Amino acid sequence: MNELEIKQLWQATNEKLEESFLINRKNTEDITRISIHNFLGSMKPIKIFTLLVGILWVGIGVIALSGIYLNAFAEANKFFLFSATLQVLLTAIALLIYVYQLTKIYQVNISDPILQTQKKLAQLKISTLWATRILFLQLPVWTTFWWNETMLTDWNFLQWAITIMVTGSFTFVALWLFSNIKYENRNKNWFQLIFNGKEWTPLMKSMELLEQVNEYKTGTIEVNRRG
Amino acid sequence: MTKQEQQLFFQEIIEQHKAILFKVARTYCLNEEDRQDLLQEIMIQIWQSIYKYNDQHKISTWLYRISLNVAISFYRKNATRAGKYTVLKEQMPELPTEDKTENERQLNLLEQFISELKEIDKALMILYLEDKSHAEIAGILGMSVSNTGTKIGRIKDKLKTRFSQLKS
Repeated sequence: MNELEIKQLWQATNEKLEESFLINRKNTEDITRISIHNFLGSMKPIKIFTLLVGILWVGIGVIALSGIYLNAFAEANKFFLFSATLQVLLTAIALLIYVYQLTKIYQVNISDPILQTQKKLAQLKISTLWATRILFLQLPVWTTFWWNETMLTDWNFLQWAITIMVTGSFTFVALWLFSNIKYENRNKNWFQLIFNGKEWTPLMKSMELLEQVNEYKTGTIEVNRRG
Repeated sequence: MTKQEQQLFFQEIIEQHKAILFKVARTYCLNEEDRQDLLQEIMIQIWQSIYKYNDQHKISTWLYRISLNVAISFYRKNATRAGKYTVLKEQMPELPTEDKTENERQLNLLEQFISELKEIDKALMILYLEDKSHAEIAGILGMSVSNTGTKIGRIKDKLKTRFSQLKS
């Protein structure tokens, strides 16, 4: 079967099927009653909500911690203070990722060329990895909140050994995951184990798609001329 | 454009170019139910982008871009929209009885070949089978004309190999 015959087969079959494909006026009228919003509009409310909760959390944290730094630094438990500061700082960084994602959502235009749009969408989804990395980076902080000065004087070797081992391993795991959770490692077994599950499927698919876009990238140009 | 003009324009382009929507939905969704959902989603996105349309691009280019972008991103579909869907009517007609077996065999092979392609390759395949010029395909996909030629050449080779296997 030659090229022309294959094209004819495709076109003839579609013509036959199209004849029976009905879109009545009511269908299109129903659609025009749906209010106009961005292609990713449905993603915005949850992101905006998360952003607002995050701003509230960081805001309360900053006010509370500033009060301690300014008025009660000498009496404060320094371990708690530094742990809480680090936690608030990391949450603030995570908020910046949400701001970045919201900006990207507004930039996506569904009528732009395929490669351009799909790249933006895939990058948007993959930026979720950054939030995950930040989440893991917070791990050691949760093991140091309860530390206090009496530990320095009252604790024996075994207590110290266990505490340091726990915090040390949490720190190691957090730093390792922070530096290794990235697009380039998507095919590694440990990566697929962490991101295994239905909730991560769109993320993994986005990575596959970005790979396809990159394969096509050679020679990619901005197309703004009449198509 | 006023809202009423937008509504008329929308109905007009859907009626005139419904084949584009249909082919894209058929290529990306083998399951009937998913295909109906995809068709609705494509129409919703066309309606929601209609105020942005300008004659910088041919209407078919604009429609292919939206349809293919929605189809490729379909897995991100928002489930909450499900309630807004209306049902489209489609029946699968019988192929003519003469040379039905041969036609069906070849069509099955073509459909199987397309279904095995990656998402963006599928887009390229539809445009190639629709006999679009390299310049138009480049405009829809967003790549250079020369690169489009190379990619089409590769996909043609694969297709040729598949059909030659059928013969042997």
